[in-house]
Amino acid sequence: MTLELQDLCLSYGEKQVLDHFSLELVCDGLTALTGPSGCGKTTLMRVIGGLEQPAAGHLSGVAPERTAFLFQENRLLPWRTVEQHILDVLPRDRRGECARYLALAELTGEERTCPAALSGGMARRLALARCIALGGDLLLLDEPFTGVDGERAQRLLRRLREQGTPVLLVSHEPEVLSACDRVYAFNGPPLTLLP
Amino acid sequence: MCPEPVKKLIRIAIPLAFWLGVWQLAAMAVDLELMLPTPARVLTSLLTMAGTDTFWLSALFTLVRVFLGLLLGTALGVLLAFLTRFASWANLLLSPAIRVIRATPVVSFILLVYLWVTRENIPGVIAAMMVLPVVWSSVSGGLSSVDSQLLELARAYRFSRWKTLCLIYLPSVRPHFISGFLTAFGLAWKSGVAAEVLCPPKLAIGSRIQQARMALETADLFAWTLVIIVLSLSLEALLRHLLKAGEVRV
Repeated sequence: MTLELQDLCLSYGEKQVLDHFSLELVCDGLTALTGPSGCGKTTLMRVIGGLEQPAAGHLSGVAPERTAFLFQENRLLPWRTVEQHILDVLPRDRRGECARYLALAELTGEERTCPAALSGGMARRLALARCIALGGDLLLLDEPFTGVDGERAQRLLRRLREQGTPVLLVSHEPEVLSACDRVYAFNGPPLTLLP
Repeated sequence: MCPEPVKKLIRIAIPLAFWLGVWQLAAMAVDLELMLPTPARVLTSLLTMAGTDTFWLSALFTLVRVFLGLLLGTALGVLLAFLTRFASWANLLLSPAIRVIRATPVVSFILLVYLWVTRENIPGVIAAMMVLPVVWSSVSGGLSSVDSQLLELARAYRFSRWKTLCLIYLPSVRPHFISGFLTAFGLAWKSGVAAEVLCPPKLAIGSRIQQARMALETADLFAWTLVIIVLSLSLEALLRHLLKAGEVRV
């Protein structure tokens, strides 16, 4: 899958984050975006996911409504159990797949646990499992392994690769970047691709 | 070390005994039953009244009126809170009107409503009018404090409106609703009985209070007030218990 980003412009108040930004982004397997905090990586992901509308420019290659976005924050619902988080995003005819997503995120046995009782790493894995369960043509994962130990992160990366949907992720962790097929490094703002 | 139930009993019994003592001493000092009857005299009066059908029917009818008013006011308050939150025209038109209702003295409403509805229905209508702004205000507060990140998640994860309502709005608003509802319950009870006193229906606690006042039966007046207090406290405790049980189930 190749995303064509053409002449994208977006600013938050005075701060120009995307200034006529263009890029051909190849997203097969695992693709990573990296760069200093605040350079505009998350904004770019949000534009691709349809969560931000650029003031100008054009994006093609994927329909925003066919992406699944993992936010930087877990955004779990305090009143829903682990299992309910997954069931909430699965259509009725796929409810049987819940156990598979929980196993993928190593959360089997925690079905009835509420988010308040989860550790930071478990909560992150639940948010990741929910995003994968939602599915689509492209998974957009913003810092997916925050709070997850290195070994487990590698196992999760392997499973992400195996499940077949292309993944575009943001990360600063060298171990994660080295496990990806392609890494785009940026600077900014405004967002600029480093050679 | 005392076990917890004993401690609880002490926490209730000591203040109760203290204030009953103060009451008894004050009654003895005044030494005029018309002004201040003794606790024993009020208890006797209460027991005598409890032996009549009128006592139970009056309490029952008052309860029904207050509860119907509470339910009506709560339903309207919740409905209007959602309407004023999501429809700007409703917010523009209704929010000031609801604030005016909240600021209007209950007595003005009772006398006004007396012109429009039958005596039997006044307490329910008044209770509903007192409950509505309180529930509206607490649910509106809950709706505006819903986490915007969760709402963005609902959009990004393609939740339907119904799902967003059930999974995000309702659980977020719930604690605000419960606190507003319990406050509203106390208000409904007080305003409902006040309406019964000013516009006495045939069978009502308020009517009995009015009757006792006219007949200068101060002990009866105290006894009915005691009935109101006991009913109000026990029903509030029951509501708290039910709402808490519901929360655990959800």
